Amino acid sequence: MISFAPGAALLLLTAMASAAPASTPLPADHAQRMAKSMDLFQKEVSGLLKEHCLKCHGGEKTKGDFDLSTREDLLKGGEEGIAIIPFDSKGSPMMKLLRHEEEPAMPDKKPKLPDGVIKMIADWIDNGASYSEPLIAGKKPNKDRSVVTDEDRQWWAFKPLAKATNRKSQSTNPVDELLLQKANAKGLKFNPPADPRVLVRRAYLDLTGLPPTPEEVETFVQSTIRKPESAMDELVTKLLDSPRYGERWARHWLDVARFAESSGFEHDYDRPFAFHYRDFVIKALNQDMPYDQFVRWQLAGDEYEPENPMALAATGFLGAGVYPTQITANEVERVRYDALDDMLSTSTNAFLGLTVGCARCHDHKYDPIPTRDYYRMLSTFTTTVRSNIDVEMEPEKTKPLKEAWEIERKKLADAESSVETKLHPGFDQWVASGMADAGKSVWTILEPAELKSSAKAKFKALGDGSYLAEGENGAWDTYTITAKTTQRHITGLKLEALTHPSMKRNGPGRAPNGNFGLAKVSITAAPAKGGTEQEVKISKAIADYEQNKTNLSIAGTLDEDSSSGWAVDGQLGKDHAAVFTFAQPLDIPDGAKLTIKLSFSVNTQHNIGRPRFSLMSDAEPTLKGGVLAANVAVAMERARSEGDAAKLNEADRKALFDWWKQRDAGWQDAHKKLADVLAKEPRNKTTMMICGEGYTPIRMHTQGADFLEQTYFLKRGNADLKDGVAAPGFMQALMRTTDEKSWQWQAPKESKFSGRRRTFSNWITDVEHGSGALLARVIVNRLWQHHFGHGIVSTPNDFGKQGTLPSQPELLDWLANELIANGWKLKPIHKLIMLSKAYQQGTALDPTKEKADPANDLFMRRTPQRIEAEAVRDSMLAVSGLLDETMFGAGTRDEASRRRSIYFNIKRSQLIGSMVAFDAPEPLVSQGARPTTTVAPQALMLMNSPQVRSWAEALAKRILSDASGTHDTGARIAKAYSNCFGRMPNADESAAALVFITQQAMSYDADKKPEAPMHALADFCQVLFGLNEFVYQP
Amino acid sequence: MHPSHDSFLNRRELLQRAGGGLGWLALASMLDRTSLHASSSLNPLAPKKQMLPGKAKSVIWIFANGGPSQVDTWDYKPELQKRDGKELSGFDPKTGFFPGSVGPLMASPFEWKQHGQSGTWASDLFPLTAKHVDKMTFIHSCWTQSNNHSPALFMMNTGATRMGYPCVGSWVTYGLGSESDSLPAFMVMSDPLNRGLPKGNASNWGAGFLPSVYQGTWLKPKGEPIDNLKPPVDLTSQRQRAQLDLLAKLNRPMLQASPIESELAARIESFELAYRMQTAAPETFDVQGEPDHIKNLYGLNEKHCGHFAAQCLSARRMVERGVRFVQIYSGGMENQQSWDCHADLIGNHRGFAAESDQPVAALLSDLEQRGLLDSTLVIWGGEFGRLPISQKGGKPGRDHNPHTFTVWMAGGGMKGGFHYGESDEIGFKAAVNKVSVHDFHATVLAALGLDHEKLTYKFQGLDQRLTGVENPKVVKEVFA
Repeated sequence: MISFAPGAALLLLTAMASAAPASTPLPADHAQRMAKSMDLFQKEVSGLLKEHCLKCHGGEKTKGDFDLSTREDLLKGGEEGIAIIPFDSKGSPMMKLLRHEEEPAMPDKKPKLPDGVIKMIADWIDNGASYSEPLIAGKKPNKDRSVVTDEDRQWWAFKPLAKATNRKSQSTNPVDELLLQKANAKGLKFNPPADPRVLVRRAYLDLTGLPPTPEEVETFVQSTIRKPESAMDELVTKLLDSPRYGERWARHWLDVARFAESSGFEHDYDRPFAFHYRDFVIKALNQDMPYDQFVRWQLAGDEYEPENPMALAATGFLGAGVYPTQITANEVERVRYDALDDMLSTSTNAFLGLTVGCARCHDHKYDPIPTRDYYRMLSTFTTTVRSNIDVEMEPEKTKPLKEAWEIERKKLADAESSVETKLHPGFDQWVASGMADAGKSVWTILEPAELKSSAKAKFKALGDGSYLAEGENGAWDTYTITAKTTQRHITGLKLEALTHPSMKRNGPGRAPNGNFGLAKVSITAAPAKGGTEQEVKISKAIADYEQNKTNLSIAGTLDEDSSSGWAVDGQLGKDHAAVFTFAQPLDIPDGAKLTIKLSFSVNTQHNIGRPRFSLMSDAEPTLKGGVLAANVAVAMERARSEGDAAKLNEADRKALFDWWKQRDAGWQDAHKKLADVLAKEPRNKTTMMICGEGYTPIRMHTQGADFLEQTYFLKRGNADLKDGVAAPGFMQALMRTTDEKSWQWQAPKESKFSGRRRTFSNWITDVEHGSGALLARVIVNRLWQHHFGHGIVSTPNDFGKQGTLPSQPELLDWLANELIANGWKLKPIHKLIMLSKAYQQGTALDPTKEKADPANDLFMRRTPQRIEAEAVRDSMLAVSGLLDETMFGAGTRDEASRRRSIYFNIKRSQLIGSMVAFDAPEPLVSQGARPTTTVAPQALMLMNSPQVRSWAEALAKRILSDASGTHDTGARIAKAYSNCFGRMPNADESAAALVFITQQAMSYDADKKPEAPMHALADFCQVLFGLNEFVYQP
Repeated sequence: MHPSHDSFLNRRELLQRAGGGLGWLALASMLDRTSLHASSSLNPLAPKKQMLPGKAKSVIWIFANGGPSQVDTWDYKPELQKRDGKELSGFDPKTGFFPGSVGPLMASPFEWKQHGQSGTWASDLFPLTAKHVDKMTFIHSCWTQSNNHSPALFMMNTGATRMGYPCVGSWVTYGLGSESDSLPAFMVMSDPLNRGLPKGNASNWGAGFLPSVYQGTWLKPKGEPIDNLKPPVDLTSQRQRAQLDLLAKLNRPMLQASPIESELAARIESFELAYRMQTAAPETFDVQGEPDHIKNLYGLNEKHCGHFAAQCLSARRMVERGVRFVQIYSGGMENQQSWDCHADLIGNHRGFAAESDQPVAALLSDLEQRGLLDSTLVIWGGEFGRLPISQKGGKPGRDHNPHTFTVWMAGGGMKGGFHYGESDEIGFKAAVNKVSVHDFHATVLAALGLDHEKLTYKFQGLDQRLTGVENPKVVKEVFA
């Protein structure tokens, strides 16, 4: 379990800060020597250091993190450790470099300094390395970044939230009040309010990502006339209640969470159960889950509520990052540290707006984040792994059903055993009567005379006809099996790939993930007594399961492509079987010698681990029909020779009876009834990818462990330079107590949890003593950013010193306080913002304002925003009447899908073209803001994509059917404008559109194209999709 | 250099190139008014000035995917030939990918000869390319950080073994913009014979944290090479032209009095660029229109190398038309599908060399005869090298070796017949004048007139750069 040692950690930090110089005892005559050293410095050494060293070490650059501009910095040394030891030039590493005894020889890329110069510097060190003044005039020693002080906690973002200022007016929206306080000082005021038609479009696109229908526009316009005071309030309330809200705003969060549904790297394997996290975000936003809970669950949902599907799905956040699928032995550690870094960096970036990941190799250069804090926080995730688990989606509903089912199951199990009991006399009789019908229509095991592996694997007989491959697991093995059989009229060969605990995941393959890849099967036969060998042609191959229907299917074993073949990922850890039907039955009178070759060239080391072969005679080979196991065959032989069941030993009798009973109709009936009920176990279990502790990790092709038991402090981020075990901890600059225990959550005894993540989540959400104030600031800033186009802090993922300062710090803190006071609910904050005058301003151009406030930090005007990729596509689907509103579940990568774009499956190597074109980010690291580019692929999509064209045609058809009865093109144009923009076209627009549609129709007519008017109208609708007005939120 | 650094310059650029399309005069006059809005960035691909003198204007990078063997191609090691079959004592079996398949030292099975004035040693894998050794600079001392394909590919392409960083082509287009107003600035071609993409797929030409406009355009090897390049059947060129004219007309009023007028104007221009691209891109890819002597030079109609000839010839046509950065992957994903010769070194390397030798040699001749070689940097190399020991098997191969590999460069201001750096006597580890991947990247940028320390982009609080933080050095010796 967790162990905190707060005192020890602090002590260690203090000790480190003054380590090197203090360790050498001062010589007795140090005072005199220091004076001599000072003299040397003033006369010679100062100049030498300035000439040869300072430029790269403290002047223009600080290479190797080594700065010698002040004595304090010189004594601190650089990233390689200490540079000099006062009074000991021989022991000073810097001298070895100057003497070119060690690399990197100094000065860098220049000839060695003259011996006299080197001796001078050595003398100076031997006398104490004194400075009379810094090498750079006025330079102060660098701050020791490994120590966090109260001064560091004075950075604006780390301070407690400012107490809410007293409201001057109860009638003004506080957002406006705070904004105007600043703006009035510059003599600026809000733009005039936006037209209701603009406002309703803005609100719909903003909250739902879809444009309003013409009816919705009219309703709002009417409502502003009838009840101007409450119209906007009602609209915002309605939109926040719409399920479309969650779908819209979840997408913003998914950028921050670098969410994708594949692993990335070499194979970019799908994560078919990762979509639950996306669904969690949508549901959480729609039900207005308190933001602190939203954060806690994403970090530690499994530790909070291990049975709650929502809480489990939330942990998909931690697992959404990239992870290599192929990891060599000497990469295992580095890759695991990369994975931990991904979890920590994304969490701190997303929740706290900090670039904690920068402290991986060195103390953060700008923010007070020492490397020690980094590794202590990193340790939070030490044992956290991705896992696919079966989750009961509705545990309360399932329980009573399951009790009833259990009664039924027991009844049928009892019935089956009572049938069985009654069968024994019949069995005895069957044995006594000679068992004439035994051995028909079953697979008979082929006992190999020899099993050879080209890669020198060894095979061990397991006694049931199967052979376990051991030892060498070659990259590209081929198994050659020779066997003799006296069986006649052989119609097919069955190959079983059986599981065994000695293999990874129990196999059935020897690949690191338990898979195999059988590229080719070839069989030859010759008379057993000798004779010509002939190929046994295979006409058909079937398997109980195939990884896919293309390159990893059973059909791949019959083609010439050596990289395609049968594989079974998706159902690993289970026995599998394939049946190869012979084109002609093989019938060699005096026995046949068979040679079977299996080649495994689909992927490296993908060899079958425990094969078993059997043959079928007479009947049409199928996957059904049991294999006559060796023990049954033996028992059968004995029973035959004895002719009396009573003479069989217990094991033989059982083996034979269990085989025989399956042929009894009564038993089959009872067994089927039981099996049916077993299959109908009431459960609503769904496989879900989570990221937690104590679950079976999703295994990659790795030559090592899935996680490491300990997280260590690493020097320079290098896993070979370990510096002690890092106990979990927090960011000191965001601690207003020294008592780390106050956040500690002790996991229940016997539980599989370490409690580390839940502990971390306690700190991250603690407003009083932890980082809760920053957590609140960061999220309200994100909300503001999406409502206005840029945040109060315009670097939403960086609230540190490299980020921008808040343009409205009072407003930011006021919003953060509001959020916390309202139980961390986000919807009230949306409403507060959207009901402000600031939000409802028009977009009129005002050159004086642009000049006075170019970046619009004062928010005294609004700028139209290009809507995001998802909104562009969803808007086209919506106006054309094609939008499929089905929520949740697995997504698709089919661009022709009519569901909202958030339901696109996100595979890192196959991102959706229409999304990427419009700036959807690559989901690799947390993205706080998308760029807005204007590039040709966007235009190409709007001009040429078959989807866009089909949506334009759908809109045209919709307009034609709506405006049925009229042949008035003008009415159709008006309808199109109304659908797309919620307004009527003006006279110029109508006129231009009319000319265009008429000409296009004539052109189609001239080509004798059927439905010319529809095509002409579709051409027009497509133009509307391309208009700036369509893709900008006003 | 920072993002959106000079939108005014870009605006001028836009106006200079304001070509066809109705309404341009009106639009142009509107744009003369200086917008004060700070956040809009016009054409981010407008050409930008070099930071330093650099001869190369464009790059064609032939990526020998999977990691070709240095000791069987361009790095001649007589000592290795002598020690054939001897154990390599002290060898760490985890150096390569298969710790269990470590064999003894294995001499190169190929014939070695000296070529050109420079007397450059080359194996007989590339008889035609070897005729050009006096145009090439060889770096024999490259080394990388991973012994695994995907991280090593990312390293070579993005300077980091992790996913998510911008690749060299993205940095270069970010730094220099595009010289073409009708083609993507950065294009990537992968294996057209169904042998897969390089491991890590599109991340090898991704823009990472740079704006997506700088990502490589991957040309699909089958079907339409670029998405949405072909208009729907109904939209004849005349009908689509009418659409775009109407679009410009209806868009125009919204520009007036808009605070984002320049951004909106750029959107209108983007449709015109797209319209031009519809014609320009297929024209560029149409290698069959080349005269016969050129087709024959590349081997376009030869079965064994026609596919790679088409890609090399396309690359030349792209560079001619102002494309900044072209990457061609030789080989597919891994193992026998690429240069990744774990088994059957001879068969593997003979096969891929035969596919690429004539087209690469032709590319060098062709660029030279057109006077393009001085301004085009041609790079050949893989993501790592191979071990001097054998990987055991029926037909032995060689396993991955991150410690040394050879890259050659030609044109773009490189010296001819020049060799920089050395691996040790058996070609196992870089030994003299070691060149890290960051050093190599810094050198490529320098060839293009970009200062790797100044080519930065602010992301996550840092001025990020291609070459990382460890002070890599430009290999100045390679420049003529």
